[in-house]
Amino acid sequence: MTLPANPRDAVATGTAAPDVVAGAGAQAGAPIEQANLWRDAWRRYIQNRGAVVAGAIFVAFVAFCVIWPIITPYDIHNDPVNFSQAYEGPSLKHPLGTDKLGKDLLTKLALGGRISIAIGIGATLTILLIGVVYGSIAGFAGGRLDNIQMRLLDALYGLPYLPFAIIVLAIIGTNNLWTMVIALSIASWFTAARIVRGQIITLKENDYVRAAKAVGARWYRVLTRHLLPNTLGILIIAIFLELPGVILGEAFLSFIGLGISPPDASLGSMAQEGREVYRVHPNVIAIPSIAIAVLVLCANFIADGMRDALDPRTRETKEH
Amino acid sequence: MALLQVENLRTHFFTREGAVKAVDGVSFSVEAGKTLGIVGESGCGKSVTALSLMGLIPRPPARIVEGSVTFQGRDLTKLSEGDLEDIRGREMAMIFQDPMTSLNPTLRIRTQITEVLDRHFGYSKDDARKRAVELLEEVRIPRAAERLDDYPHRFSGGMRQRVMIAIAIACNPKLLIADEPTTALDVTVQAEILDLLDDLRRDHEMGMIIITHDMGVIAETADQVAVMYAGQIVEQAQTEELFDRPEHPYTEALLGALPQLEGENVRMGRLRSIPGRPPDLIAPPEGCRFAPRCPHANLSDGCAQRLPELRQIRTGHLVRSRHPASERQAVPV
Amino acid sequence: MSTNGALLQVRDLRKEFPVKSGFLVERVTHTVNAVDGISFDIAEGRTLGLVGESGSGKSTTGYCVLQLLKPTAGSIRFQGKELTKLGREEIRRMRREMQIVFQDPYSSLDPRMTVGDIVAEPLDVHGVGSRRTRRARVRELLDVVGFNPDYVNRYPHEFSGGQRQRVGVARALALNPSLIVCDEPVSALDVSIQAQILNLLKDLQRDFGLTYLFISHDLAVVRSMSDDIAVMKDGQIVETGPADDVYERPNHEYTRALLTAVPVPDPRRMRDRRAERRKLHHVIAET
Repeated sequence: MTLPANPRDAVATGTAAPDVVAGAGAQAGAPIEQANLWRDAWRRYIQNRGAVVAGAIFVAFVAFCVIWPIITPYDIHNDPVNFSQAYEGPSLKHPLGTDKLGKDLLTKLALGGRISIAIGIGATLTILLIGVVYGSIAGFAGGRLDNIQMRLLDALYGLPYLPFAIIVLAIIGTNNLWTMVIALSIASWFTAARIVRGQIITLKENDYVRAAKAVGARWYRVLTRHLLPNTLGILIIAIFLELPGVILGEAFLSFIGLGISPPDASLGSMAQEGREVYRVHPNVIAIPSIAIAVLVLCANFIADGMRDALDPRTRETKEH
Repeated sequence: MALLQVENLRTHFFTREGAVKAVDGVSFSVEAGKTLGIVGESGCGKSVTALSLMGLIPRPPARIVEGSVTFQGRDLTKLSEGDLEDIRGREMAMIFQDPMTSLNPTLRIRTQITEVLDRHFGYSKDDARKRAVELLEEVRIPRAAERLDDYPHRFSGGMRQRVMIAIAIACNPKLLIADEPTTALDVTVQAEILDLLDDLRRDHEMGMIIITHDMGVIAETADQVAVMYAGQIVEQAQTEELFDRPEHPYTEALLGALPQLEGENVRMGRLRSIPGRPPDLIAPPEGCRFAPRCPHANLSDGCAQRLPELRQIRTGHLVRSRHPASERQAVPV
Repeated sequence: MSTNGALLQVRDLRKEFPVKSGFLVERVTHTVNAVDGISFDIAEGRTLGLVGESGSGKSTTGYCVLQLLKPTAGSIRFQGKELTKLGREEIRRMRREMQIVFQDPYSSLDPRMTVGDIVAEPLDVHGVGSRRTRRARVRELLDVVGFNPDYVNRYPHEFSGGQRQRVGVARALALNPSLIVCDEPVSALDVSIQAQILNLLKDLQRDFGLTYLFISHDLAVVRSMSDDIAVMKDGQIVETGPADDVYERPNHEYTRALLTAVPVPDPRRMRDRRAERRKLHHVIAET
């Protein structure tokens, strides 16, 4: 770390009175070499072994789901059904075995994983979008509008998550990736809205918001340029907190047959297929179930790790 | 024998970036019934010094790496945590800066005062209550008996600070350490609190250490002053002597930077400012730590090479500088 | 003290805050008069020091003058125009003429914006100049306040409190205002840095002909900056006049209580001041 420059090397301004030590009004010193906020957070995140392992597993699984179906020799949709190879156990040809139609489970896992993760991420982002819009309007406007919005939110909170999603799906009619995303989002955006609103309300009190208003910035500029960028940290954490719930929600719905319908398959619908024969051929239901559990567990660990890394308050308790 | 004798105290914070030498060789003593003022700007190490005395530094990441703190004949740095707990509150007490956070908002005032009486004396409930009322009256809280059962939020900032002081003197400590006790308070309240502390000091014959950044507070309360900069004491003297004849360039600059309440042409004059910033305490410079900002620093005198010792320039007046005011020949260009 | 040529004329300014309470439905139980009918003038190029303790209403007054808070009653004439009667767009235009420097160097700069963006924002908001001229102007402003312009692309957290305050001052100057409200601009800074910033403010006033409403609880700081003083207590101005008069020959008891309460760096005066304080103890009743 460097020391501040010797002020006597700086040029004194012409207006300095004789009793002022040379250079007083002139160029202020160099910035403090402090770690970048993000770099600091990253370093803290890395110290959390659970979060790092979870992150690695998560990334590995996503990579597997994306890459494997491209390089696999099996084409689940177009290969002919082969009952003679149905329900095989793990082997060299089929590392995870086959399903009732003789299709390779490893490839199905990757494809199912794709859909589940896609729905998970899609729904999470949609939740965040709705939450940000609703929450920032409530938090920013305050007063009566905020009150109305929050009372409405309180009422919606009372609705049970999955039945609500089921009803929405029923109203929409079809059960594909997009409708699943919509249904799951509509049923669970409430917490994100609350979080965003809370953050906006806190940030609003900062002087830099007043400064922007004092300069004449209009409300949308204050919101988009000053408030929302500063909620970024919270939003990232919220993403990883919502993800497990959405993945599980989709898995459950598909498992009970109300979710993804063929030809698409998700991890949940894969599990449903194995429901009837779990006693005889457990791997058909076990494999997607384990995958779901791993995804959800990892997402939780990652969320925890991110929260500790980004939240200055939990950091303080450790340093002082 | 002095009530408190600190010798060569060094407290370092061990962080990822290196060891921050927050307190780096500090020595002073406090007599019973007298007030020592420790003054300096943020980051000079004054608060860490106070916390080190009480053994309240966070351990990790901080540690007293060297030095002794002799209180009533015992070296506090060598005591166990249990022994220190017996001393804290009973023989030695501390009050902090922010009265809003120093009191537990979920406990009544009565509970917080009797807690300390309980810990050290084991009073009965009635006796404790009586003593608590006495204490509140001593710190001049009106209607003490009624207010004893209130929660902290019903007290104003100044009142809360008085409660803090009551808790601190509850066990009649021999030494009271006040860390920026009035910084968070309004100026009129501040004056009352400082006057109160002074009266208490006299009534209880306590030794007192007041830590502040405000030279005015020092002038009003301290018998002896130690000026700290970058983890070290740079000047030490009786208060009147320090204000009359400051020796260290930093002390002079500090006094010169103060806006004046009284006097003529205050509006038109310029304040004397100190350019630059205090040094990084992880790798402090080898020489005098004030040298980069000092108008009298001189290459040929080795200002930047060797750290000046704290030496006696007059009876009772110590300074850590190669160019103290009384040794300078002419006004530097 | 009222001259028709005053840059800012405030008359009978009032600001009430409703206090709500209630279980299911919040109802307004009573109002707090943060500012309770105050009047003052500031002539062009001069500094009015608004001094008082916490809860006196001084900061609220500053915000009302700038129309960051809507006054409950009263008149604020700035450059001859009645601010309380202007529409939103007109107020927005007036904002180019009146700016503010905040107290807290840590919350007054958006941590996600670079120093350059922060100082450029006023120019951005009002569409002044092109991108290139704005960049040049930002460098110019930073230079004027003693902040190294080479650091335009750094973030606030990389700088100390004093340097951040300089950025805040640069931002306030961006649109060439005639009035700047300084809301405790040095209270959060160390004494030696305070001096730097106060000297800077004085220089800027002289160089750019600025008018200041200088709000502070620190009587010594206010003395060194102000031509005239207004002492506020509980939302009202209890004393006002030229600085030297108010400080040397205070009329109101409260002013005297304030002045004797300030710790002065002169150990010999301590006993006298303490005695004087005891006499004025009744003025400062604490709850």
